[in-house]
Amino acid sequence: MDDFKEITAGNKPFKKAYVAIMLWFVGRAIQAAARVDKDVKKEFEKLPDGFTFCLGVLPRGPYMIVGKNEKGRVKYMGWKPDGKRIDLDMKIKNIEAAILMFTFQESTAAASARNRMIVDGEVPYVCAIVRVLDIGEVYLLPKFIARLAVKRYPAWSFGRKYIGRVRIYFRSILGY
Amino acid sequence: MYLSGYYEFCCRVKMIAGHDALEKIPGALAQLHAGRPLIITDKGVSGAGLVDTVVDAIKDGIDIGAMADDVPQDSSVKVVNHLADVYRDNNCDSIVAVGGGSVMDTAKGVNIVVSENADDLMKFSGVGVLKKALKPLLVIPTTSGTGSEVTLAAVIKDHERHLKMAFASYFLLPDVAILDSRMTLTLPPFLTASTAMDAMAHAVEAYTGLAKNPMSDANAIAAISLISSNLLNVIKTPSDREGRLALANGATLAGAAFSNSLVGVVHALGHATGSVCGVPHGVCMSILLPYGLEYNMHKRAHFTGELLLPLAGAEVYVGTPKHLRAEGTVAYIRKMNQNMHDATDGRHARFFEEVKDRDGRRMVPREKLEDIAEAALDDGSIVYNPEECDYEDFLMIIRAAWEGAPLDRSLIKGV
Repeated sequence: MDDFKEITAGNKPFKKAYVAIMLWFVGRAIQAAARVDKDVKKEFEKLPDGFTFCLGVLPRGPYMIVGKNEKGRVKYMGWKPDGKRIDLDMKIKNIEAAILMFTFQESTAAASARNRMIVDGEVPYVCAIVRVLDIGEVYLLPKFIARLAVKRYPAWSFGRKYIGRVRIYFRSILGY
Repeated sequence: MYLSGYYEFCCRVKMIAGHDALEKIPGALAQLHAGRPLIITDKGVSGAGLVDTVVDAIKDGIDIGAMADDVPQDSSVKVVNHLADVYRDNNCDSIVAVGGGSVMDTAKGVNIVVSENADDLMKFSGVGVLKKALKPLLVIPTTSGTGSEVTLAAVIKDHERHLKMAFASYFLLPDVAILDSRMTLTLPPFLTASTAMDAMAHAVEAYTGLAKNPMSDANAIAAISLISSNLLNVIKTPSDREGRLALANGATLAGAAFSNSLVGVVHALGHATGSVCGVPHGVCMSILLPYGLEYNMHKRAHFTGELLLPLAGAEVYVGTPKHLRAEGTVAYIRKMNQNMHDATDGRHARFFEEVKDRDGRRMVPREKLEDIAEAALDDGSIVYNPEECDYEDFLMIIRAAWEGAPLDRSLIKGV
């Protein structure tokens, strides 16, 4: 074995950093959307208190964790899943697949259809979180990009879309 | 031919199909270094004499370890754990499942427990939990519908916790599936109709869904062709052995297609209607299939139109202008339902209002449609549907399917 140099997989630090920033922002945006948007609020109301989900990239991250605390408030819970009880674990199989998703070359639905993700958790939770992620994308992204990320771009009122977008960006940046 | 940018496909089940396929079971078991199977079935199958047919075909070639026919209509964790004890007590080395989806799912569950040398199935629920090959499993379907003989999943009910537990792993794929015309010869015409339309829905949704790929497409097209060209003949002449074998092959091909490409809105609403109102799955599929195609048509007209060829044949396909083929596919499936309704003296329902239970009571009251739409939101199949589907969309589809009126496509959001 000494005759051969061991080849290890590249770390791809720039891609990982990009995905980590996106996950960090999406996590905080979900927290904000749960306070601002009626549909996101409703989706989380149906989930049990203490519910936690993790979205991340195999094999070693980055991750984001979002959950409801015991008072029912939705919180971004950081980027370390270690030691947390995760009810719904959504893992993208590798960083290249994550880049396809987070550069919106591939929608969440297309990524699922192409087996890019490993999901562990109850199916109704998966459906609810996919809907939340879709709504989050519509708020965060301009229409011409969001149309690539979701199956159907919703026909929202001006107030919901633009005022909601400003409020969610504001809350995401400030983290409340 | 559509080529997906990326796809995964796996179907490593050995097929043995023919009018005398059962006789090959001892040889198939021997190739797997087994020869003392536990036969798992249910009372309906054994009561119909189908297990006797299997035993007669194989008894000279192997030593049957034990036979258990107490699988309930809904597979159950308790029964799985009990059957695992039967397997061990009788020193069995393999499993032969004879029945429909519930029996096959139960057999997959028993196989997990005995292969992992465990005492409780629930430790292995979820995706990818199994890490090694299981004991030899042979399956003999007695309906031409579910496709469970080639799927990698099992759904087993935990009655104590009121949960349906899902198990998924490539190790759950059976080693051998045996399709023998004798196994479906006694299936009544109305059950033949609904189970075959279940298989048809698998193939059609696999072909028109987001996860379609060339391998699944090939299976789906062959399935649709076999089912479409044989179903009505078999309903009118149940003893048609060639037709029965064709339907069994069609269901298995459809199973291989949807096991890899998954399904969409038809199954999401069908599962919800089944759980809210108890309507048999095949009945839901045959009613909902044209509505699902109509709902997705603005995004999948090209693929839907292509299905007119295996459904109706070359003459109809060529004679239909390209822009009308998708509508032609929907109309053809509706015509199939109408023909089966006529051929079964009305027992094959065309819309939900006419679905009745054994006592003649309506199974889907109109006031339950909202509950069905709500339940469909939690069904995982919708993730793979080409078009988004919210509560209002589900309600629109199920209302139309209840009344039997074609879907008003101008009401679909974004069209």
